[in-house]
Amino acid sequence: MAARVVKVVRPAPTTKQWLPILIGLGVASAHFFRNLFGFIRGRQDFTVNFPEQRFVQPPAMRGMPVLVQMANGKERCVACGLCEWACPTSCITIFPAETAAEVERFPEVFDIDMARCMFCGLCEEACPEEAIVMSRQVEISSYSRRGSLWRKQDLLVPEAELKPRLDYLRAQYARK
Amino acid sequence: MKIVKVTVDGRTLEAPEGTPLLQVMLDAGMDIPHYCYHPKLSIEGSCRFCQVRIEGIPKLQISCNTPVRDGMVVKSDDPEVHLVRRGVVELLLLNHPLDCPICDKAGECWLQNYAMRFGNREGHTIDPRRKRGKRLDIGDRMLLDQERCILCRRCVRFCNEVSKTGELHVFELGEHSKLDIYDDQRLDNDYSMNTADICPVGALETKDFHHKIRVWFLQETATVCPTCANGCNAMLSVYKNRIWRMTPRRNDEVNETWLCDWGRLNIGYPTDSGRLRVPIVDGAAATWNQALDRATQALTDFTQQHGAALGAVVSPHLTNEENFRFGELLKALQVKQVAMAVQRWKPDDLLIKAEKAANARGVRELKLVSGADDGLEQLLGAIESGAIKGLYLCGDDLLKVTPPDRLEGIFSKLELLIVQSLTNDPRYAHAKVIFPTTTFAEKEGTFTNHAGRVQRITKALDTPAGWIGDGELFTHLLNAVTASGETYSIANVWDRMSSDGAAFAAVQFDNIGPHGVPLAAAGK
Repeated sequence: MAARVVKVVRPAPTTKQWLPILIGLGVASAHFFRNLFGFIRGRQDFTVNFPEQRFVQPPAMRGMPVLVQMANGKERCVACGLCEWACPTSCITIFPAETAAEVERFPEVFDIDMARCMFCGLCEEACPEEAIVMSRQVEISSYSRRGSLWRKQDLLVPEAELKPRLDYLRAQYARK
Repeated sequence: MKIVKVTVDGRTLEAPEGTPLLQVMLDAGMDIPHYCYHPKLSIEGSCRFCQVRIEGIPKLQISCNTPVRDGMVVKSDDPEVHLVRRGVVELLLLNHPLDCPICDKAGECWLQNYAMRFGNREGHTIDPRRKRGKRLDIGDRMLLDQERCILCRRCVRFCNEVSKTGELHVFELGEHSKLDIYDDQRLDNDYSMNTADICPVGALETKDFHHKIRVWFLQETATVCPTCANGCNAMLSVYKNRIWRMTPRRNDEVNETWLCDWGRLNIGYPTDSGRLRVPIVDGAAATWNQALDRATQALTDFTQQHGAALGAVVSPHLTNEENFRFGELLKALQVKQVAMAVQRWKPDDLLIKAEKAANARGVRELKLVSGADDGLEQLLGAIESGAIKGLYLCGDDLLKVTPPDRLEGIFSKLELLIVQSLTNDPRYAHAKVIFPTTTFAEKEGTFTNHAGRVQRITKALDTPAGWIGDGELFTHLLNAVTASGETYSIANVWDRMSSDGAAFAAVQFDNIGPHGVPLAAAGK
């Protein structure tokens, strides 16, 4: 079947293009002045004391991709391979297998080579099962290339921990 | 047969009278959606998807069951036709489970493709989807998912008309219809896996491909099935240098659109873990150069010592080109007795042929062997009587056709044994050199099938670095024995094969299309 090209209609440039620029400048200056004169109102810390303190990233942040772990300890992934196909850097490797459970298919192997991953989030977008999402985790450096290969067991994160991101995604997709 | 003219969407098409209109339109390259129509099966007309407007008939007609007649005017691009297509897709999707992420057919599913092209993106029904049997074990090699079935009955017609075993049937009526096997029968015929190919959705799946790999990763290579002498045209699906499945490729002269189960399942051996990957010299692994040197040394020493006392077994699994070069090598080595060992199994009248090797006819056409049993008995007798003291053995078929104790006696009498083999079999312990042989998936060349049709095979798998294929191996040995500077390429072997005046004289390698050339017709 031939590929179809969808022509996207973009809004024509308006005369008020300077307005967003001013808004952006306003936000930046507000932060600047708050930090500059914040001590007057008794503010002590102007930075986060890393690593004792951690800045909690907003849910829109794309960290490393992880697999959603359901309450029964199993992954939600059914090894359909769409993320493997969508991945522009081919960092995902999946080999499916069969079980007797109701969802008959699961990934026997699910590897992500974090050295190749570029955090684009296309895997998350391709996933039909909400099984792979971008987490807040970004501290994934390792001493060897072997260490940057994450296996299925390393990638599983309980669903509760990923709730902000899942809620954010659902809100995004519900938007028309 | 009378040739008639029909007009379809303003195009004039010609076809023999009585051809299904759908086939005429498909042959003209028009993209008419259809499920139940299959060119090699009888016409059913159950899917109602190929409906077109025919001038003079008030209602839309299914084009598969409409024979063409002269002066027919057909419109396939009609608002009502589009409405019907959308309706058909919506009705099929009413009860179709959304299994696509776990369905093996996803990516090559006709329902998926047509739903994306013609379907509504949202359904109108509020009723739950009906429940049916899933993952039903209906045969040794087949699984059935009744929920996914769209009741096109292609598989039922296949079992009735092609394999003539009739295991499948659509039971019950109307909304309750479901595809199933009869209670006392299982879908175990020799052609059962074809039903998975012709199934437009993922209702019938083969167990050997179930949950293995997504089809969009597979790279397809046109080749010929190596399992028996019929030479069925096939597609090899390869991913990560491994063969995942073999599907039939249409060739009306050989296999129509079918392939037997045993051919499909016999694709594991090129990537088998037990396969010999490095040459063995005197029982220990060696490099290719060491093995070639040792083999040359052994062959020249043997000829000086014993004269012409060398025998050879030709492999029916090698291509015509390789066997031709082997013939040249045998001439240079003054080989006395040449034979061929071919395994046999039970043939049938559809596809399976008695000889369990792809190129036995090619070896005979090259005049390498003669006699009813291809000279095998004579060669073995000569070894037992001591007239032949050395053997160049190509392929492993000799191990399978000779009784084990006789084979042991033969091997122990030999002073020189050089083997080209898939495995390092313990029975080859006497061998001076064992070369790994190259399988059909790893080389270019041609096979000659039982009826004398020359067909091309194509390289699908990569071989390890430094690998020397069978043809190059024979050429290296030929160069070493005769101190010449031959090179091995398909083109120069074919030049010599054609000028040799033998059966291949009239065939040109470049003229062998995707469906092969018969030797006899080319020779006339």
